[in-house]
Amino acid sequence: MPTKLSRRDFVRLCAGSAAAISMTGFLAPYMSEAVAAGAPSVIWLQGASCTGCSISLLNTVHPDIKKVLTEVISLRYHPNIMAAAGDLAIQEMFKVAEEGNFFLVVEGAVPTGADGLYCTVGEQNGHHITFENLVKTIGKKSNAILSFGTCSAFGGIPATPPNPTNCKAVDQVVKDVPVINVPGCPPHPDWMVGTIAHVLLYGIPELDTFGRPKMFFSNIIHDNCERRQYFDNGIFAKTFGEPGCMLELGCKGPISHCDASTRLFNGGVNWCVKSGGVCIGCTEPQFPAWPMYERMAEMPVGPATSVTVDQVGIVLGGLAVAGIGGHLAGNIATGRIGPKKEDVEKEGDN
Amino acid sequence: MVKQMEDRHSVWIRFCHWVNMISITLLILTGYYIHAPHTFRLFSNMDTPRTIHFAMAYLLCFGVLIRVYYAIVAKDAKNIVFSVKEDTPKFPSMIKYYMFMADSHPYYGKYNPGQKMMYTGWLVMVLLQIITGFILYKPNMFMALGGFLGGYMAVRLIHYIVTWLFVLSVLAHVYLDISEGVPVLKSMFTGKIPADFDHGTHEEEIETGTGVGA
Ligand code: HEM
Ligand code: SF4
Ligand code: SF4
Repeated sequence: MPTKLSRRDFVRLCAGSAAAISMTGFLAPYMSEAVAAGAPSVIWLQGASCTGCSISLLNTVHPDIKKVLTEVISLRYHPNIMAAAGDLAIQEMFKVAEEGNFFLVVEGAVPTGADGLYCTVGEQNGHHITFENLVKTIGKKSNAILSFGTCSAFGGIPATPPNPTNCKAVDQVVKDVPVINVPGCPPHPDWMVGTIAHVLLYGIPELDTFGRPKMFFSNIIHDNCERRQYFDNGIFAKTFGEPGCMLELGCKGPISHCDASTRLFNGGVNWCVKSGGVCIGCTEPQFPAWPMYERMAEMPVGPATSVTVDQVGIVLGGLAVAGIGGHLAGNIATGRIGPKKEDVEKEGDN
Repeated sequence: MVKQMEDRHSVWIRFCHWVNMISITLLILTGYYIHAPHTFRLFSNMDTPRTIHFAMAYLLCFGVLIRVYYAIVAKDAKNIVFSVKEDTPKFPSMIKYYMFMADSHPYYGKYNPGQKMMYTGWLVMVLLQIITGFILYKPNMFMALGGFLGGYMAVRLIHYIVTWLFVLSVLAHVYLDISEGVPVLKSMFTGKIPADFDHGTHEEEIETGTGVGA
């Protein structure tokens, strides 16, 4: 594949890209060249999702999204932005899948309850096509699956307990096909376009333990946060809108991996903490199964019951102190503690 | 006449005990500040307690390593490791003694089953703290282990729950040891304890009626 940009330079560009340069703008010529030379096409499916990831992709500002979609990626199926609809669109999708050599983007978790009937995406020969079935059949034929957004990557909001539709992450449903997880709620457009670019130009990028491309997800937010100096100096905001580190307001920066603090959302304008909110840890596998605005989750103590660790600790501490008091009284009453006849004799021995 | 003393704690045991006591105490104090700086106003910034926490984390690893090595090499492990088979049957008599339902208790060895259980528990808890602590300290290095334990939030939760367990068990430990008598407390400094100190009644002594405190 003709490309003047080495993989190393590409990864460096992705990882280092700050708001100052638009990554997509820089990549576009290379990607269009690859697409013109017959790079694999892309099918984009939506399951249990809110379409937020697609909206985030549409926020790609430079070059504008139209150019990205028509020239930079050969996107052959997308539920929201394709012109075709109904049977025509479905048939086109199956045709692309039959031809092979394509990447499958999945947005949204996969509902597997009731044989997948909670999410149907079309009809074929008068039968519902369940999303679960589609992801499995199309996914098997793809070169690789790109799970865009935390829902498809890890289950996200739809898969959070009680999860009545039994939603699952894509890599729990489709095996034997490489899956790249690009989490985020929603993911930054650069993470999506950059990952597509990488698979088109160089194949699968280097992934971390949870299948996330290292070029975007190897930074801890807390280590790159503009409020970090407040944290180090022990200045903590008590309410929203106050200056200070947001740790006590529930910031999950210390346990979250992404580069939003240097890349910035909305074309380099803002990001989660800069806008006055906390990092909610949206790129982590357990998101959002924790309280957004609390420092720490509660500990489970029974079925559907949880309490804070401090509550348990204080109760047990009270019991311990009461126990010690009682025992001390007993010790004194029985003469185990305090002047004893024997002790006096022993002292005399010295 | 000089009081007859016998050896109780070797210099290594005392050294490890106090090193571990210092590191764990500082880890608890700094840990609470790191957890809730507004509630536990023990420090004026985050830099100092975090530096102390991480320095003490390494000291704890060192102290525990030496203690475990000593326990194995000096065959001291049998004194402190709880054995379900041998120590569980000793519980009733110990509980009776602590509940003032008996005036004395049988001789259990160096430590009674409750103490052995606590010391063994501490080893488990320290290992848990070291594992969860290093996952939080180097989140990129131990990502897989963190995921295995249920993710970073679960790791944080374990780290914090075990901290509370330390506070509670240290409370009990300090009380029980002091209430057992000043000589016991002193022995962790000097290594020696009066030879006639009541360690409980030996069975053969019960039969002959000669034991200390019988
Ligand atoms: C007896 C041993 C220890 C105790 C009692 C202890 C206690 C604590 C407590 C209470 C916290 C605050 C937890 C939170 O709110 O998230 C904490 C945080 C932390 N501890 Fe420890 N710790 C111990 C050992 C260690 C060790 C061995 C390490 C290894 C490096 C370690 C590393 C950390 C780190 C990195 C944090 C920061 C977590 C965060 O910011 O969320 N700790 N510790
Ligand atoms: S606001 Fe959040 S990410 Fe920033 S320093 Fe505070 S805890 Fe860390
Ligand atoms: S900073 Fe936190 S909330 Fe914002 S995108 Fe990154 S992980 Fe998600």
